[in-house]
Amino acid sequence: MSKLMEWVDARIPVSDMIKSQATEYPTPKNLNYWWNFGSLALFILIVMIVTGLFLAMHYKPDADTAFDIVEHIMRDVNYGWLLRYLHANGATFFFIVIYVHILRGMYYGSYRAPREILWWIGIIIFLMMMGTGFLGYVLPWGQMSYWGAAVITNLMTAIPLIGEDLVIWIWGGFSVGDATLNRFFVLHFLLPLVIFALVIVHMWALHAVHSNNPDGIDIVDEAKDTLPFHPYFTIKDLYGIGVLLIIYCWFVFFAPNAFLEPDNYIPANPMQTPAHIVPEWYFLPFYAILRSIDFLGAFSKLAGVIAMIGAICILFILPFLDRSPVRSFRYRPMSKSLFWIFVVNSIMLGWVGYNPADATTFGGALPLIILGRTGTAIYFGYFVMLWVITALKIEKPLPVPKSL
Amino acid sequence: MKLLKIVQVVVLAAAFLPQTLLASSGAVHPPAQEWGFKGAFGKFDNAAIKRGAQIAVEVCMACHSFKYIKFDSLRQFGFTEAKIIEMADSQGRTKNDKMISSMDGPTAKESFGTVPPDLSLMTKARKGYEDYTYGILAGYLNDAELSLVEKVMEDDEVSKTEALELAASLHVDPQNPEHIKQILNRINNGDNFNKYFPGYFLAMPAPLSDGAVEYADGTESSLKQMAHDVTSFMAWTAEPTLMERKALGFKVILFLVVFTIMLYAVKRRIWAKAH
Repeated sequence: MSKLMEWVDARIPVSDMIKSQATEYPTPKNLNYWWNFGSLALFILIVMIVTGLFLAMHYKPDADTAFDIVEHIMRDVNYGWLLRYLHANGATFFFIVIYVHILRGMYYGSYRAPREILWWIGIIIFLMMMGTGFLGYVLPWGQMSYWGAAVITNLMTAIPLIGEDLVIWIWGGFSVGDATLNRFFVLHFLLPLVIFALVIVHMWALHAVHSNNPDGIDIVDEAKDTLPFHPYFTIKDLYGIGVLLIIYCWFVFFAPNAFLEPDNYIPANPMQTPAHIVPEWYFLPFYAILRSIDFLGAFSKLAGVIAMIGAICILFILPFLDRSPVRSFRYRPMSKSLFWIFVVNSIMLGWVGYNPADATTFGGALPLIILGRTGTAIYFGYFVMLWVITALKIEKPLPVPKSL
Repeated sequence: MKLLKIVQVVVLAAAFLPQTLLASSGAVHPPAQEWGFKGAFGKFDNAAIKRGAQIAVEVCMACHSFKYIKFDSLRQFGFTEAKIIEMADSQGRTKNDKMISSMDGPTAKESFGTVPPDLSLMTKARKGYEDYTYGILAGYLNDAELSLVEKVMEDDEVSKTEALELAASLHVDPQNPEHIKQILNRINNGDNFNKYFPGYFLAMPAPLSDGAVEYADGTESSLKQMAHDVTSFMAWTAEPTLMERKALGFKVILFLVVFTIMLYAVKRRIWAKAH
């Protein structure tokens, strides 16, 4: 065996790679459980690719039969119901895990130098995940699939000059239809593989600059401050995967439709608009931002689309907005408060996005659109305020430990 | 630190409160019923499903189909082969056919103005799920309520007391007598009023009434009993793999819990060396 490995290593240094990048890879010893969510995301990505591959063996992207094919998978394919529920709920848990992963990066300053490129690749992965999630939701060809696709693709028409032609090109016709479903299936199959490739680049960038840690300080003494990845973090990640699987499987086996809209069990009907079109839950805060810009007359739609895309793309410049000498919010009281306001506000935006645009709360006293606009202002306000308190040195960071 | 605690409580509250905060909008929520197949330990009630299948074939299938279910699949609930063949024959089908109604779409559209939806997935396809299906089936006006409507409309006026009286059973706003009057007029014109249908009026006339079928097992066929039984049947047609799913789920979760506890023990052991 060792002879064989020597022969291989002389040609491609596998053992070295495993040693330096996996088993003996130095990892900060003070990582808390929030650092589990990266490996959890990778785990769910693999689950999604594997279940998706098997689903694709039975699915056919044909507008006349797609809905029935999904029911055929649910009823006639051996463990087809398990594949589909793992895949549908997997999307939900993928986004839960990714949102925690992103927020962890924001809280502990993982986007700060020298990790900007690592952060940017992450945002690109997140954007592609959203695209993949949207495309996948169209495939069962239920009412929400169809009308969700119609509403979202229609946003393209807001683009000046080319919008109208662009949307027809994307549809492959003059409305969402068979051609749209077919290309969405192809893209839904392709994108996860691109995501997988980007995840490898993400990990390459990570291993070049190494993990941040809850104190946000650099490693000074590798021997004292770090532990080898194996066995310390392999076992910790495995334990995390176990906990995730318990919750995930509980939904898959006992409440598989908890995150699905009942309307999507009605076959797509282009002649009948559902009373209330909602996207999947993981788009809701951004959907609320889109709808909150309704006061600019003819420009509202375009401005809404820009705000929605901007809400994610602003993350790209986060490394330059944050000017604090300290990375981790653990030692930054003002940033910490802003962060939690941001989190609560994002959940509130999600709730606004879930409800009809004309809904009210507090017994009709407060139209949700007001909450939506306020929430949008607070969302972007986070990034502005973070710059203000750090660039103008308003925030006085607490003393940071010298070593881990 | 205190602020942080408060914020964390708010985050949790924000995640659970929204639905209770929101003013109820639109349709009336059908009241929750007892369903034995709900919850992790829930099981299908085969006797109820068998009775429901009888109603489905004798009543629902006059217009509706269950296109994902074969007649022959009903055998698992204790129907004899002769009975299956007889039920299939009533729709002009054989036992290996799918449960498709003998009434075709265009005919139905002519009679009812709309094509009756397929019922296979109905309990999964509406907000409220089984409670909604039950609510619709049992939510038409009964004789007492119909005669009350007639009495109120004798003088073509809806007084305050009458409005209050009607509001409880029709789920309408008692402060809006004009709206009530419009509704009563439509009821008198023969439109199908249902307490739980969004917008109140639907194409389907009341499909069930007390004693509409004679149960093979001798159970008394009250409206509520039938609504319950046929909804149980539809819950099965919507998800025939439900029992298989839960049975496997118990094994999977049990394994995962034991395995994760072991992983945690190993993790603690390994990390003990790190400090």
